[in-house]
This record gives sequence, C-alpha cells and structure tokens, in this order.
Amino acid sequence: MASHKLPNYLRQHRKHLGFSQRDIAFLLGGRNVSRPCRYEHFSCTPVLRTALALAVILRVPVQELFSGEYQEIESVVRRQAQRLRDRLTTEQPDERRSRKLAQLRVICER
Amino acid sequence: MRSRNPDPKRVLSIDPTSRGFGFVVFESPTTLADWGCKAIRQQDEAKTLAKVLELIHHYRPGIMVLEDYKGSRRCARVQNLLDAVCRLATTEGLKTRCIPVLRVKKVFLTFRARTKDEIAHSVAQQLPELAPELPRYRKPWMSEGSQMAIFDAAALALTYFHSRPLRNRNVPKQLRTEPNSCLVSDSL
Repeated sequence: MASHKLPNYLRQHRKHLGFSQRDIAFLLGGRNVSRPCRYEHFSCTPVLRTALALAVILRVPVQELFSGEYQEIESVVRRQAQRLRDRLTTEQPDERRSRKLAQLRVICER
Repeated sequence: MRSRNPDPKRVLSIDPTSRGFGFVVFESPTTLADWGCKAIRQQDEAKTLAKVLELIHHYRPGIMVLEDYKGSRRCARVQNLLDAVCRLATTEGLKTRCIPVLRVKKVFLTFRARTKDEIAHSVAQQLPELAPELPRYRKPWMSEGSQMAIFDAAALALTYFHSRPLRNRNVPKQLRTEPNSCLVSDSL
C-alpha cells in the first residue's frame, strides 16, 4: 500500500533539535510564534524563502522536510507530463520531439 | 486544512494518565513523527476525547495502539476512557490494537529491561529523539514524572511492532532481538 506522507515534518525535526516554536520564529526573522505554529498544523505552506530558511535551521533538505507536499506536487507534475507526452505522440516525428519524449518518459516513470 | 488520506503504516499510541495522556506517532518502527503529553486539568473524558480526535485528524494514522487494561490495576476512570478512545478510533475508521502490560514486559525483557524505568531507558535507547524527555529515576517517595506517559505509549507501540507476524515486519537489524525471543508468533 502506498504511504501518505504528512505535508511537512517541521515539528518532528524541531523537537529533535530541541528548538521551541518561539526560537524558530526568531530564527525566521520575526517574533510571531503563530507562523511556525501554522506551518506545523498544516494550515498554510511557507513561501520558498521561508522553506529554505527552515531547511537551513533544521539541517534537512527541503524535499525531505516537506515530503508530503513534494509527493503531491510530484504526482501533479507526472500527470501533466503524461498529458504532454500523449499530445506529442500525435505530432510529426522529428529529433527534437523524440528528445522531449525521452525526457517526459523519465519524468513519468520515476 | 487539506483533507489527507490515512497512512496505513502510521501508528498512534496513547497512554492515559491521571493528568491527561501521553502520545507517540510512529511513521515506521524507527521513525517518530511526533510525541508529547496533553494535560487535561479536570479529568474530563469529553476533553480528552476531543484532544485524541484532534491528533487523529492531524496525523491520519492507520492504527491506534492502546493498553489492554484487563488484568492491570488501572482505575475505573482510565478503564472507561480507554474503552471510549477505542470506540472513537473505530468510528474514525482506525484499526485498534490493545496490548496488555504483561506483553510489553515480555517484549522488553529481551532488551534486559524489567522495571518501568528500565523500559523507559530501553525506549530512549531505541528512539534517541525521546532521550531528552526521559524523567529522572523515581524514588519511592516521588510521584511519577508526567513525561513517563510518552515512554509508556512508545513501549506499547514498539511492542506492537515487535509482535506483528514476521512477514509484516519492517524492523531494522539493530532493533531485532535474539532468536529465542517471545515476539515472533504472537498474533494480535
């Protein structure tokens, strides 16, 4: 059965390092504890800059920190790649098209 | 909040105490997603159930592990609470596994842990994330540290992982016990 990851693992990594939500808020450059709290409760997703800052603080790659989000985005991209592949197969065959098809196959089958 | 599908492998273990409950969420036998204690001041069953429901909705576990109070000295309130949590888990579509304390002791005996304190130390050894939460050794005149509920919940979940049939297990080598261990064929 496929595993459904949590949208993020911020709380797990934060607790592991012994930081409080207040510490994280300060390290993110603010004083408001509600921001890290909202991320941990999955009620909102941080912007790229904050996500990268969290990866720096918690010393975990963004992809691992937000593995649930990553899984979701990956499946959406894969679906779109499949659609593009289907569209390209109906077009005139040439070298560029076959190169694109090969790349799309890699995305779809990853 | 976006709706999420429950993860069949995610395990939520709960251990009620006189001051609330301790919980542990496992992603796999060696990975913790969260742990902690929830304090409920007036020993209100409805409040406890609301907090448990919050955890279920947040983590979407597939399995809930609880203590099987039959044969233990749990007070009537905790026994009723465990029944209520079990019912709640069933209505939320979770599989529930009730594990008696005797089985926990049997499993941790293979790690040479006999007492509650030794079991907590063994849990902290297996899950280093929990080590900072370890309460200090309790003298006879001291009351139990509230954090001990986390270790009791973790011990229940680890017993569940070790008691599963071999084919379903994904226990890494360092957690596996000696061949004469009692863990292999217990069906829950």
